[in-house]
Amino acid sequence: MPIHLFIAILTFYLMLFGAGAQASLKLPETVKVDPAALTTEPMCDPKISPAWREAQEIEGVKIEASPGCSPDNPAWIAAAVKGTNHISMETLMKTGLSPDAIIKTDDLDGDGDPDRIIIKLEIMELNGKSPDFPGVIPTFDIAPGIQPGAWVFAPKTSGMSTENFESVRANPLLRLPSPVIRVEVGDIVQIVLENTHYFPHSIHLHGVDHPFSHKDHGGNDGVPQTSERELMPGERRIYEFQARQPGTMFYHCHVQTHTHLAMGLAGMIVVEENKPNNWLQTLNIGAGHVRHPSVAVKEQFDQEYDLHYHAMDKELVEIIQKYNDPRLIARDMNQRYDATDATEDYYTLNGLSFPYTLRESLIVVEPDQKIKLRLLNSGGELIAIHTHGHHATITHYDGVEHNPVAQIMRDVFDMAPAQRLDLRLETVNDGKHSYGEGDWLIHDHREKGITTNGMAEGGSMSSIVYTSYLNGSGLPKVSHFGIDLNEFFTKEYYERRYPIWQDLDETASLGSPAGQMGVNAATQTSLLNALYGLLIGLLIYLVSAKREQIKQSAAAAVSRLKSPKGSNQ
Amino acid sequence: MAKTIITFLLAGFVTFSASAFAQQQTKPAEHDQHDHSGHDMSQDSSGTATDHDHDHHHDHDLSAEHPIDHSDHTMSPQSAEHGDGHHHHHMDHDHIMDHEGTMIMGQNLDKLPSSCKSISQEVEITVRAGRKYAAKFPGTAFAFDQQQWQVKPCSKVTFHFVNEDNIRHQFMMHGLPKYLYKYGMFHLEVTGPKTVSGTIIVPGSDDTFLVHCDISHHMEKGMKAQLVVGKGGENIPSIPGVTPYNINDTYEAENLPKVSDKAEQNAMVRQITTFTNNNLQNYGMMLIGVLIGLLCIPLFKKILFRKKSD
Repeated sequence: MPIHLFIAILTFYLMLFGAGAQASLKLPETVKVDPAALTTEPMCDPKISPAWREAQEIEGVKIEASPGCSPDNPAWIAAAVKGTNHISMETLMKTGLSPDAIIKTDDLDGDGDPDRIIIKLEIMELNGKSPDFPGVIPTFDIAPGIQPGAWVFAPKTSGMSTENFESVRANPLLRLPSPVIRVEVGDIVQIVLENTHYFPHSIHLHGVDHPFSHKDHGGNDGVPQTSERELMPGERRIYEFQARQPGTMFYHCHVQTHTHLAMGLAGMIVVEENKPNNWLQTLNIGAGHVRHPSVAVKEQFDQEYDLHYHAMDKELVEIIQKYNDPRLIARDMNQRYDATDATEDYYTLNGLSFPYTLRESLIVVEPDQKIKLRLLNSGGELIAIHTHGHHATITHYDGVEHNPVAQIMRDVFDMAPAQRLDLRLETVNDGKHSYGEGDWLIHDHREKGITTNGMAEGGSMSSIVYTSYLNGSGLPKVSHFGIDLNEFFTKEYYERRYPIWQDLDETASLGSPAGQMGVNAATQTSLLNALYGLLIGLLIYLVSAKREQIKQSAAAAVSRLKSPKGSNQ
Repeated sequence: MAKTIITFLLAGFVTFSASAFAQQQTKPAEHDQHDHSGHDMSQDSSGTATDHDHDHHHDHDLSAEHPIDHSDHTMSPQSAEHGDGHHHHHMDHDHIMDHEGTMIMGQNLDKLPSSCKSISQEVEITVRAGRKYAAKFPGTAFAFDQQQWQVKPCSKVTFHFVNEDNIRHQFMMHGLPKYLYKYGMFHLEVTGPKTVSGTIIVPGSDDTFLVHCDISHHMEKGMKAQLVVGKGGENIPSIPGVTPYNINDTYEAENLPKVSDKAEQNAMVRQITTFTNNNLQNYGMMLIGVLIGLLCIPLFKKILFRKKSD
């Protein structure tokens, strides 16, 4: 019996050896990912009505066309221009705003527009941990499947924080970035911060002309070390100012600024020149295209865009997804997180990363237009924004106009943290201002700026796209170049599970190799060694078990050998 | 032995059930004590219930009938902020909102659930909401004053929702029958400090309903409770002090500075600074020892010799 076993193992060993030799002759096949296996999202968000793109008038507010695929809700714009106190209940219900979110009253200078502006902001958490289920709530994706924890200043809303009770997706008003605020020189502005968050916060009005301390409301600079105590959860504070100078400015939380700013508590605030009948779009929710620009901007420009660049560190934003207990979150953020060891992982433009920037942060232009771009860098590092196909003129630094004769044209715009630049982009095809029509990229030229968690294509990349290069759904027309952007609208792409070059040629020459057939070399060797051992063991067993037999047979053999000898003798 | 154990068990059971009973009793007692002076909407709403046909009214002049009380917001020190004079009022079958966003949604004053023949009782419950109620639950940020309310099946319940913070809070109930309540929801919302009241009629079967504030992370950070109808249904998880979290954080002891650390540190410092003195002391003691030893030698000698001579 053991002899049969011995022979069987020997045969198996030989077969294995043969197979191994065979495998090393041919490398594994390429495995192509079937597009059907991907969770492909529609490139254009189907929840947003295409009717929102059209030029329209709501509540007497003229709203410019915005041909991109996810334009702002026109009701938001009407509410922001008229104030939530001057619109019908029907329009208000379409906004989701609280009826006291934007209160506009009193034409103090008699020039036809309201000059007392009250803006109510709440602080909302996005993608935070739940003690009820594994997952985050309310969700806000900056790119497919990418849900960094974030805090935002949000316009005061009414009702739920999610779309509805069945959904975990955030109410559209709760989003990155914090909204762009627009007020006029001379307006008496109250920003009322209602701290709905579980941590203390404040507002610092960076660059906006504001008194250090206000006679009625006290400290007004938002700094807990100089002017005021932190605003605790459940409390309300009024920041009041009457700006004397226009410009593109910045507002942010100044409590534990090194983390709170990066978490998203940062937004653009624009002080516009005082002009008659200047009904401003007080909030530009989600930033981007300004569909009801100010009188001064309309006099000089055809279009206006707010471009808010931001960056987040994965290790920081994950803290609110690690714990539910606010004490543990506070401990990790305040005492354990080391900002000097931080690296930024998520780069956003207007709160989103590529490919979602294509949905709502395209700069859609026509030839021979003058476009005003307001840029803010609220990230922690210097950025270098490059406009493909265009040189733009820097007209303002940090809200202050640069001497008009000294203004310069560039195609890379470096911006320090907190810096603002106003650019004049002219789509004149003269080889300098513009090289002609196209779908021209606009991106941070530090190469990591076009990555999401270190993987391209992502980051704050967007496009300056001429309408002739825009398709019916408001996305850049690229299919005639044989380009398919669908792969970017899958979460598998950003999970690093999609071999991004597999479709560049028919043979998928740069696709993903299949795994080793059978066992790999290392296990093969150890398996062989184990078999050797087994064989030796069996041999020893056989020898010892059949000792007598062997002896006998040996003796027999010897005698046999001897006997012929003997017989010979 | 067995007898004593049984008596102890019995005694324990009696005290336990007594406290449970007491807890249940406090609720109706509190309703009686509830102060209506600030907001007499409950009378209003009951009035509305009697002389109001809810099946077909689309009028938008609510000042006379809808139960939000505008008079008390002059009490708020921030009333100047609302100095617009424009009042929004919105009402359809189940949605009432004023110019400050105070909201009543899914109110039901008179529609009986199919499982009820009549209203079993009329109850008023005051629910207070605010940051200060989170103090008794470490690791939370916002809370209601109570985490559980109990009513009989088919009760008509009026909730007086008192928001004591200076921000928005909600009293949002889920899981109600959808043929009576849109999305199965009843929802009160108000920016504090202010009160809003609303009424529902609970179903006739035993059930437990989720109550929470849906402002981002208010429920997750403590503002969660349940309404128990009759004997109740399945408990709802992660209600502070009532039910455990589904997912728990892990805690570790931290190296926090303590007063006793300081005392230890002082002792160490003293040891180091008095090192030389100590040494002197030690040497001194050694010297004394040597002297004593020397003095004692003759004594030992004597003893030893005596022993030998013996």
